[in-house]
Amino acid sequence: MNFWLGIRHLDRRIIFLLMALGVAVPLLLKIGLPVRVTRDVSSVYDYIENLKEADVVLISYDHDTGTLPEMVPMSTAILRHLFLKNLKLVGMALRAEGNAIGRQAFKRVGDEFGKADGTDYVFLGYRPELTATILGLGTSIERVFPKDDRGVPVAEIPLMQNIHNYGDIALVISVSDDDTPVYWINYGNARYQVKVAPAVTAVMATTFFPFLNSSQIVGMIAGLKGAAEYERLIKRQGMASRGMDAQSIAHLVVIGFILAGNLAYFATRKRGM
Amino acid sequence: MRRSFPIIVCFVFGMAMLIQFFVPSKLSRVAYDEITNWAQIIYAFALIVGVFGLLKYHSEKVVRKSGGWFFNLVTIASLIIMAVLGFAYGRGDSSPFMWIFNYMQAPMQASVFSLLAFFVASAAFRGFTARNAEAVLLLLSAVFIMFGIASVGNAIPPFSDIANWILMKPSMTARRGIFIGIGLGTIATSLRVILGVERTYLGKG
Amino acid sequence: MSSSPGIWLAAFLTLAIYSFLYKDNPIYRFAESLLIGISVGFLLVVTFDTTILPKALEPVGASLVGTLAAGARSIPGLIWVLIPVALGLLMFARFVKGLAWLSRIALALYIGFGAGASIPANMQSFILKQIEASIGPFLSVANVWEAINDVIIIVGLVSTLFYFYFSKAHSGNFGRMAKLGTYYLMIFFGATFGYTVMARISLLIGRLSFLLRDWLGLMT
Repeated sequence: MNFWLGIRHLDRRIIFLLMALGVAVPLLLKIGLPVRVTRDVSSVYDYIENLKEADVVLISYDHDTGTLPEMVPMSTAILRHLFLKNLKLVGMALRAEGNAIGRQAFKRVGDEFGKADGTDYVFLGYRPELTATILGLGTSIERVFPKDDRGVPVAEIPLMQNIHNYGDIALVISVSDDDTPVYWINYGNARYQVKVAPAVTAVMATTFFPFLNSSQIVGMIAGLKGAAEYERLIKRQGMASRGMDAQSIAHLVVIGFILAGNLAYFATRKRGM
Repeated sequence: MRRSFPIIVCFVFGMAMLIQFFVPSKLSRVAYDEITNWAQIIYAFALIVGVFGLLKYHSEKVVRKSGGWFFNLVTIASLIIMAVLGFAYGRGDSSPFMWIFNYMQAPMQASVFSLLAFFVASAAFRGFTARNAEAVLLLLSAVFIMFGIASVGNAIPPFSDIANWILMKPSMTARRGIFIGIGLGTIATSLRVILGVERTYLGKG
Repeated sequence: MSSSPGIWLAAFLTLAIYSFLYKDNPIYRFAESLLIGISVGFLLVVTFDTTILPKALEPVGASLVGTLAAGARSIPGLIWVLIPVALGLLMFARFVKGLAWLSRIALALYIGFGAGASIPANMQSFILKQIEASIGPFLSVANVWEAINDVIIIVGLVSTLFYFYFSKAHSGNFGRMAKLGTYYLMIFFGATFGYTVMARISLLIGRLSFLLRDWLGLMT
């Protein structure tokens, strides 16, 4: 009985240590556990696959640096797919930190594929107000973003000559760590019928299943698992695939904690302790 | 005047945004474009006001030498240094501003959020007990999702299929019910705000 | 092991934040205060540079130059461009005793705008589309399993809405439906918790990857 009491009152720092080991050991060992592709993610992949060359995709970086480990693998995989398809990309951010993250991502992956800023992609910059920005893009992108993030007037950017509003955009991808994609759905899709695909942190995944079911979004990429699935689809393994080993083992560790906690609870409750 | 004028402003602009959705005339389109533009500018200024509010709060603590005032001073100093570097040297990829962002802000922010992994594990151990029927349902749902979606179970069809079924049917349904409730509540509250019944946004005085 | 000073600084700050796991300490508090200051400074620069400058100050400047060149007939245009800037600047009035009420004008405009825009959006997206998706499947059922799932959805939706109706006591048959709604909600919360665990662990994976690979060079 003292054993179960000891388990119930286990120092939380031991729990922290076990959690850290549960993540660190698989990272060092490189196990290679399988990742099965789900329909939510393959729907986004298939939609992009069916776009024609020179179709325009708008990517909005609506997240902060706190969720970089989840969002960077996701957005990198998506950008690689978009550049592989020779689609034209327009980037923007609805968060200040997302602006820096997105700009760097566009440059990093764009350089990988030899893409040029201004002709193959453009990063418009940051706008702080969600509703007004998303609504404003439906009328005139240039009105919302008179200049791009480098300070070049949008009217002088070659790529933007034929991109004026949502009518010229095939898909909006919101890379987000909160409910910003809901605003894209409410104001972009509901009003202007622009297609939306959220790429969200796993915390927000359950929020978007109703929209998936009602076909208000074309699909959804959620969390590191979603990023790993997308890497599988584009056949380019990255950090997400590598991280899934640690993810799988760490989940088993947490399930183990839940089991141990329940066993200790019932064992001590029976004896009235 | 101090309260009635803002309420009238709220009514005018609220009704303008509502009416223009149903009346797509040239005038309503122009009004819509201008209002959305003004909203962006006002919000940006509001963010700057927030920054000044933060500076005021921390400055008062430093001046009064309240407990832990040194840390308030660190906040003020780092804010000013970051702002000066940004305005003086720009936001280019190799600027000092972006160096601090990449090697200080991003790692610290990511670390703060990653602390939650440890606390979630601790919470799962201590608090996640099957005390009643509702708790059992919650527990089972969580375990199936953890195992069937993001662990080894995702490659084992029965587990991944059950997990996907939970997500696309009962879980999705509950979330849908919450959304409908939010939708109805938002419409009711928005109408109250536009009509001046709800005035809490005006504050006191 | 990395030789980059930036990586070493990032590693030190990461470990400073993680020191909180042992117990609250001055190193953690220093890192936390630093983070707040840097983040807000970042926000200030980016907001001014990307929004206030191109959308507020530059149009005012251009309009002013145009007015000086063209004369009095350009003044209405200048006033029009000045209005949102003036409203934005009015928000600073909250720091001045006796004039704080002026900041309510801009706030009221913004609140009114948001409230007016949200009504049709919510109606369409949160209510009509969701109800359509719940009832629509009954019009074309492919097999028994699909029919069962559709019933599960509609029963769950109704019972969840029953749960959120607090104007009537949850007793009798009404209470039983609300209880069923509770069970659906518990399944949803459990699923959300499962995903939350995934999200938080992903963030830890990211940080440990940085320490093991970028800093210590132990990971390929």
